[in-house]
Amino acid sequence: MASQTKANILARHAANAALNIPLPGISMRGVRDLGADEPFHPLDERIIAGAVEALESGQTHYVDVPGIAPLREAIAKYLNASCGASWQSANIIVTAGMQEARFLTSQIIGAQYDSIAVPAVAHPGLQKALGLRRRQVLSLPVEAERGYLPSLDDIAAALKNGCRLLYLESPSRLSGAVYTQSQVARIADLLAQHDAAAIWDQGLARWVDGGCNSLAARAEESTAAIGEAWHGIGLGSWLVGSIAAPVDWIAPMQSQKQIMAICTSTASQYAALAASEIVSETHQQRLAQMRGQRAAAVKLASELGLDTLPGAANNLLALHADEAARRKLAEAGIDFAAGEDFGAPDIVRLNIGVATNAAIEALG
Amino acid sequence: MSKKKQAAGTNLLYQLIAEARAYDDVIVMGRGDPDFDTPAHIVAAAKQAMIHHQDDVAPPAGLPALREAIAARVKRVNNIDVDPASEVVVTNGGQEALFLMVLAALGEGDELIVPEPNYNTYADSLAFAGGVKVAVQTAHEEDFRADPALVQAAITDRTRALLLVSPNNPAANVISPADMRALVNIAIEHDLMILADDIYDLFVYDNFVHTSPASLPGGKERSLTLNALSKAYSMTGWRCGWIVGPADLMARVAELKAAISGGTSIIAQHAGIAALTGPQDAVNMMAAAYARRRRLVLDALDEMGMQYGVPQGGQFVFANIAFTGMDSAEVAQRILSEQHVLAYPGSAFSKERKDYLRMTFLQPEEQLVEGLRRMKLAMASI
Repeated sequence: MASQTKANILARHAANAALNIPLPGISMRGVRDLGADEPFHPLDERIIAGAVEALESGQTHYVDVPGIAPLREAIAKYLNASCGASWQSANIIVTAGMQEARFLTSQIIGAQYDSIAVPAVAHPGLQKALGLRRRQVLSLPVEAERGYLPSLDDIAAALKNGCRLLYLESPSRLSGAVYTQSQVARIADLLAQHDAAAIWDQGLARWVDGGCNSLAARAEESTAAIGEAWHGIGLGSWLVGSIAAPVDWIAPMQSQKQIMAICTSTASQYAALAASEIVSETHQQRLAQMRGQRAAAVKLASELGLDTLPGAANNLLALHADEAARRKLAEAGIDFAAGEDFGAPDIVRLNIGVATNAAIEALG
Repeated sequence: MSKKKQAAGTNLLYQLIAEARAYDDVIVMGRGDPDFDTPAHIVAAAKQAMIHHQDDVAPPAGLPALREAIAARVKRVNNIDVDPASEVVVTNGGQEALFLMVLAALGEGDELIVPEPNYNTYADSLAFAGGVKVAVQTAHEEDFRADPALVQAAITDRTRALLLVSPNNPAANVISPADMRALVNIAIEHDLMILADDIYDLFVYDNFVHTSPASLPGGKERSLTLNALSKAYSMTGWRCGWIVGPADLMARVAELKAAISGGTSIIAQHAGIAALTGPQDAVNMMAAAYARRRRLVLDALDEMGMQYGVPQGGQFVFANIAFTGMDSAEVAQRILSEQHVLAYPGSAFSKERKDYLRMTFLQPEEQLVEGLRRMKLAMASI
């Protein structure tokens, strides 16, 4: 006999639309996969050596819930140097990838507030994370012309109307658009004015010329900064992310991390620790290469009459693409991230790589 | 904030663990972390994966090759038939599997029947889901047997699932085949889901037999069964586990997995493939060692005159300390402060179990003997 209890469970899940939103792949499967969240990059042999040495020396047991101490220290040091924050190890939780960082911050910091304001267009992982437990979500309006970043006026209106927690991406996970320094300063002022707080996804900031305009540099006591450790270094499928936040926010997130995972995989943590030593070593060279490839892709798109979105992150490019254009991409064997999964129909996101121009030619 | 009630037991353990770190000569008989390192062939396989599988993608449900290996394992060990493509989800260890299983099956106000004592994280996960724990008490005099008649009596019109952990943590009871049959029949009769935690299934002592509810008639279609590599292969730090269950429910589990962590590290997954498909000598060696150590612990508890439920499986013993007249948190604190031995207070597992301590036998025998010697001193001074 069919189980009514199971049918009810399935119906409850089916009714939760957020859970059914597809996520982009975490890492590229090949050069023609331009839809994944992270570009493929061969692992530096020193990263492998660091992980292997740790495992062979017996680092195969549980470690501290918020992460191994040297990695927390390395992440704090990196964030302070790149973003102007002044985090200590105690401010850091190492997460099992970016999605766990989204989940822990949006759910656990979110539980301290009556509502959370999020951009109408954001990484689909945010909607999924928020969908796990009922809470009041306020959608901040966005426009393609601004790269889907909510305007300062709309942020101010949300705060004025009583919302006290923001979730913002800078760079945008769809377009790569960023808030300028003066805009970040204004957001910090608004937080202070309304005694509000923010979760700030800055995972793609490595790919922005001139670095990171982090809200944490201006509103450290009211900001949780999240991101990969480190985006594009080749550890995408190893799943290492981080949360940097005021210490009194760390404790409840640490409790939840214990409940849902105990700790992040030691192999991944020691690999990330080894990566921390070389993370800046060749980055400027890679960034310059990406910048050149992206500029060429934008130029080609313009020549073909394609409509690109503004973006500052050199690792990706978002374009308008209708159904027919998408079919052409598919026929060319190119994977892309679909804008509708982010909340923006008729947009595609392409990673910058050797096949990006081929993708644009197919779209044109 | 809402997390206050869910983390009480967990925070108590944090405090004790933090204090234990301050002692150079501490003997840890608390945490469920085997002292053995991960077998070398598994580490070697991980190294090869780092070199040769860098562009593998980790879909939320896990690498197909690992799902195949898990399907073969649950057939071989648990007699559960699953389709690796649709009925297996790989997780960040048993803990994430537990969290996902609870989230998948239970919603606001739903009741989960839980034989007590039980692993504290079930209560924490249930609190996150908005569910309600309905405890069915067990007694050390009966080796913490969960009586099916008491389970049946606890069912209300809000009951949605039974939690069956065998061997149990912390009580180390193994549900007998007859009781398991009865419990599955109760689930069928009352249309309940079964959340089965088989994480200690390879560690069963004397003549006890582990039975998975999903292996019994009518069990599979209503069971979510978790397991992990942590305990069996001494891989606690890698974080690789799984849930198996009927395809329709597992599709939902995969969605939840994507929502909370997106995937599982591919290196941990390749290590998992090596563990499940490679030589099993290390597992057998560890099982034999735990059996010897268990005997040492029980002999020492007998000498101390302590009562306990005989551990029929698992890696620990849950001993009664009512004779001290003290709360288990105080006793654990005193043993730690005075003798530098970390044992977990029963109150971390259940507020009803303030008269118990959980002690693991996951230390080298020499350390275990020393820990027990110190424990005797501590108990004598109380």
